[in-house]
Amino acid sequence: MGRTLTFNIFRYNPSDPASAPHMDKFTLDETERMTLFIALNRIREELDPTLMFDFCCRAGICGACAMVINGRPGLACHTKTKEMPDEITLMPLPVFKLVGDLSVDTGVWFRTMYQKIESWVHTDKKFDPTAQEERMDNGLAEQIYELDRCIECGCCVGACGTALMREDFLGAVALNRLARFILDPRDQRTEKDYFDVVGTDEGIFGCMGLLACEDVCPKQIPLQEQLGKLRRKMALAAVKNILPKFLKKDF
Amino acid sequence: MSVPTTATHEGLPVGKLSAYLDWAQMLTGAALILFMWSHLILVSSILLGPGVMNGLAWFFEATYMAQVGGPLIFLCFLVHFVLAARKIPFNTAQQRVMLANAKRLRHPDTWLWIVQAVTAMGILIMGAIHLWVVLTNLPITAEKSAARIQTGFWFVFYLFLLPMVELHVGIGFYRILVKWGFVDRPGRWTLKKKENLLTAVFIGIGLLSLLRYYFLPLK
Amino acid sequence: MKIIQTDLLCIGAGLAGERVAIEAADNGFSVICLSIVPARRSHSSAAQGGMQAALGNSAMGEGDSPDVHFADTVKGSDWGCDQEVARLFVDAAPIAMRQMAFWGVPWNRVVPGEQTYYKGGKPFTAFEKPENEGLIHSRNFGGTAKWRTCYTSDGTGHCVLYTLDNRAAQMGVNVVDKVEAIALIHDGDVCMGAIARCLKTGELTAYLARATLVATGGFGRIYRESTNAVICDGGGLITALDTGVVSLGNMEAVQFHPTGIVPTDILVTEGCRGDGGTLLDKNEYRFMPDYEPDKAELASRDVVSRRMTEHMRKGLGVSSPYGDHLWLDIRHLGEHHIRTKLREVDEICQSFLGVDPVHQLIPVRPTQHYSMGGVRTNKDGAAYGLKGLFSAGESACWDMHGFNRLGGNSLAETVVAGMIIGGKIVEFLKGTETTFSTGAVRDAMNKQTSRIADLVACKHGSENPYVVRNAMFDSIMKGAGIFRNGKDLEKCVAELQEILGRARKVGLRSNGKGANPELTMALKIEGMVKLALCVAYGALKRTESRGAHTREDFPERNDRDWLTRTLATWTEGADLPTLNYEPATHTFEMPPGDRGYGGGKIISMDAPK
Ligand SMILES: Cc1cc2nc3c(=O)[nH]c(=O)nc-3n(C[C@H](O)[C@H](O)[C@H](O)COP(=O)(O)OP(=O)(O)OC[C@H]3O[C@@H](n4cnc5c(N)ncnc54)[C@H](O)[C@@H]3O)c2cc1C
Ligand code: HEM
Ligand code: HEM
Ligand code: SF4
Ligand code: F3S
Ligand code: FES
Repeated sequence: MGRTLTFNIFRYNPSDPASAPHMDKFTLDETERMTLFIALNRIREELDPTLMFDFCCRAGICGACAMVINGRPGLACHTKTKEMPDEITLMPLPVFKLVGDLSVDTGVWFRTMYQKIESWVHTDKKFDPTAQEERMDNGLAEQIYELDRCIECGCCVGACGTALMREDFLGAVALNRLARFILDPRDQRTEKDYFDVVGTDEGIFGCMGLLACEDVCPKQIPLQEQLGKLRRKMALAAVKNILPKFLKKDF
Repeated sequence: MSVPTTATHEGLPVGKLSAYLDWAQMLTGAALILFMWSHLILVSSILLGPGVMNGLAWFFEATYMAQVGGPLIFLCFLVHFVLAARKIPFNTAQQRVMLANAKRLRHPDTWLWIVQAVTAMGILIMGAIHLWVVLTNLPITAEKSAARIQTGFWFVFYLFLLPMVELHVGIGFYRILVKWGFVDRPGRWTLKKKENLLTAVFIGIGLLSLLRYYFLPLK
Repeated sequence: MKIIQTDLLCIGAGLAGERVAIEAADNGFSVICLSIVPARRSHSSAAQGGMQAALGNSAMGEGDSPDVHFADTVKGSDWGCDQEVARLFVDAAPIAMRQMAFWGVPWNRVVPGEQTYYKGGKPFTAFEKPENEGLIHSRNFGGTAKWRTCYTSDGTGHCVLYTLDNRAAQMGVNVVDKVEAIALIHDGDVCMGAIARCLKTGELTAYLARATLVATGGFGRIYRESTNAVICDGGGLITALDTGVVSLGNMEAVQFHPTGIVPTDILVTEGCRGDGGTLLDKNEYRFMPDYEPDKAELASRDVVSRRMTEHMRKGLGVSSPYGDHLWLDIRHLGEHHIRTKLREVDEICQSFLGVDPVHQLIPVRPTQHYSMGGVRTNKDGAAYGLKGLFSAGESACWDMHGFNRLGGNSLAETVVAGMIIGGKIVEFLKGTETTFSTGAVRDAMNKQTSRIADLVACKHGSENPYVVRNAMFDSIMKGAGIFRNGKDLEKCVAELQEILGRARKVGLRSNGKGANPELTMALKIEGMVKLALCVAYGALKRTESRGAHTREDFPERNDRDWLTRTLATWTEGADLPTLNYEPATHTFEMPPGDRGYGGGKIISMDAPK
């Protein structure tokens, strides 16, 4: 305690012709158990009412507050100042369209992603309100949940060099989402359907294994493992018909 | 994506090309790794004495492995280059984005990729020259190699090529395993440690061999 | 002026908003959902515990039925709910859960054989029937006779919301995020849509719709200590109240959750206690059994919150720089259980407190959590006062919660109400045409444009909106918190009236351009203070204790005079809401009785005056 923290914050309001991108400095005295949520709100309320940033749940579960904190994408509400140096640099998440200052537009990006990978259960069954639910193994349900835990914060996308270089790259979050549906027996899509969605250089074959996604994901989604599995599955799907029989198992 | 943005014709079927190319990139990479490891055995056999090396070289010549294998390796090298180069950004904006990202993130694996991309360029030029020189001047003997290296120019040449190759190969090895999901989360960190160690050892052996060539008394 | 037209406009894209939207889209209507944040960031995603539906698959839920669920709900509401609605709800809840399963929610499922569970800190085993293997499992939640809460580890709200949003994407529901509805378009009889401000550019758009749904969630952020997301500031309710004709029901019924962590007020799920967590005081003594011998930590929320406050008032709280608190102890559940079944809790403690719940105690205190009150609707979800206006979810007072909602009932309400009210809206859309009055649209738009211009120009004054908000926080927590009494409430109402005057004089320090956050705050501070007044004034007038509404000066539940629902409307320019009352319920499937927990005397319906 007793420290004075210096915040270097990216500033730009695209709606204001008088505004140009620059960095602003703010100083605050550190208080006990301070998080960036507390700090940024104090800056807004006490020092500069125009500062734009996003928080929603402030509990690390909604993904709204992702930003680049001292170089790394992360959740601001999750970041305790006592674990940070005296000087903290905050930038908006790259890849996503800038709304202003630290706020970016993730909504449009993610909705486009849902459409690209058709992020929903595909089935030709009809829901029967009178029937009992279809059974599912609890272990499998938990596996699906493990991948479903992603909060769409966009950190994995903002940290991925491939996504930064190539706008059309789907990103780890989308590939993980698809892996979730592949696991789910309710989704009747075939391997070929999945292949059509991600068996391309915009999809899994575009991933260069940089693993920044794995290392920044605030939910510790097992991205490396899932991307690896997906690559194997898709690569095998492509060569299945030319492989000898004994190799045709899913490894 | 599977959905074309202009709908003047039926949706374009997504080919399996990307998948094939990824296979080919990985397999040529893996082949080159295996080759480079054997290559190191060949080259460093000089440490056990010129006789051993000559023996090995003779064995490869006699079995025609060098005559056939050499050009095959050359082919692998070219194919791998063409495939892997697809991933390297050629416009400056993208290169800068990638570099800026690595700097900002301070993220080791992203840096590893940059090391790989940069060494690849060096390897492309120097490796090609090396291949040409060696393969147009068969058979390989310890004396010929030593003579080449003692010109001084080649010594310096290898001094650059060696670490580039070993880094590229070491990282490539690690990357194949993580990309194809053959290691799990904790496994990745041990793998990385082992891979770094391996690279260091190989560079060490390579350096010793180079010195041995340099100081090998010529007849 | 930018105008966009659609069949159904859902203000809010949380569970309730999206569920209604899907129903309409399914029936071929065009739907737009407006949301302050991308749909999946809506606060529904924060609900960890689960949702109640009487499926009765689990060993501890055996014998459960909608009737048992109904009884729990009505008791939980302290007989303040509309029993017809509660019946609709409990009957449809199992169907809704199965539908969610059909759409992709990875519910936890029954694992057959001997299983170890926890109750009151002690492990016990129960035998899960092999024939139920793979059916939806349930866990324990406070205030219920059976284990009935369907869950996915502790990310229930998250998973259900993601599944629904997937479904919405599939159905082509148009979700427009980073927009905030700031006023309804109406002519005093018919609602024609809403004026919304884009939070990316600051631009205003008029959304015209044949049916408009308010599904904006709770308004907890009129309190400083709240488990709600920072966007839960009642924007939707404000637009309804501002019409002058729409009633807000039971605004004084505010629930406090026993376990918000100190200092950040993040909720740790009731599941902690459901799975066997206990509450300790400064001597690390487990005090709840002394107050509630039967249910102990699992009595309903209002009871636990109140007992905790009572205990702290005795000086047995742990003092800290952030005020007194108590301890939540889950250490005995074991590392495996905590790191898997209660993972989010584990994460919250580690990342926001630096506490490891496997080895350490968690500092907790009661925190504002849920608003039972909201836009009063009939059982079809239609708001009182304006045709074409509907409401569902936490923002509505549909009223199955009465004066206290049970844990797990609100998340279930969102999808069940979404299903039922969605169906009713579809009927409405099929049977009704609307005439859009261009004059009403222009008036609504002009009014908002000039409001913004005035704020930027500081025409009415230059009060700082944040300072005004802080004043409101101070006042309402003191006057209309967990314990209430006439004296404090009177003071609170007077203070809030003064604060309302200041709220009307706010002005910006900045230029208000683009997504300016100061303007966002300034635009709603007056409305927030009005909501606070509805709470405090309603609480002052309600001279009884019922559910979460606890009057120290009127400790008994008074069914004779107060088996009613408060209806608040706001006449333009007034300084106080107008309060009216209606009977809490018209049908009595279950006559008023004792809840069986919480203690307190009851003045019965037919007691002499
Ligand atoms: C921490 C926490 C845990 C909980 N756990 C449980 C639980 O375990 N079980 C349970 O049953 N209940 C639980 N609840 C309660 C439950 O989560 C909520 O009641 C429920 O999710 C509300 O859903 P909703 O759809 O009504 O609103 P929300 O999900 O809050 O959605 C509101 C929507 O309205 C939008 N919006 C708001 N204002 C405006 C505006 N002015 N213009 C445009 N859009 C607007 C928002 O962007 C959002 O999309 C919990 C609540 C909290 C706070
Ligand atoms: C001796 C020669 C070489 C060897 C042994 C070698 C080996 C490898 C290996 C094993 C990989 C990992 C493959 C994968 O991830 O799929 C790799 C990747 C790569 N190689 Fe090489 N390589 C050699 C030469 C070159 C050359 C000449 C280039 C050319 C320009 C090059 C460019 C790359 C690039 C850019 C990658 C990264 C690809 C990606 O991340 O997807 N390599 N190399
Ligand atoms: C079939 C192909 C190849 C043959 C026959 C071959 C042969 C040799 C020989 C004989 C030497 C000893 C030095 C000399 O004679 O100049 C040598 C050294 C070396 N080669 Fe190759 N080589 C081949 C391919 C490659 C490739 C593809 C690379 C990497 C791009 C490579 C990298 C090196 C390096 C770095 C050295 C120096 C090793 C040391 O440290 O001693 N070689 N090679
Ligand atoms: S995968 Fe992880 S980093 Fe990526 S969006 Fe999801 S939670 Fe965020
Ligand atoms: S960082 Fe990017 S390249 Fe692949 S492994 Fe992760 S998506
Ligand atoms: S505000 Fe929700 S994750 Fe940070």
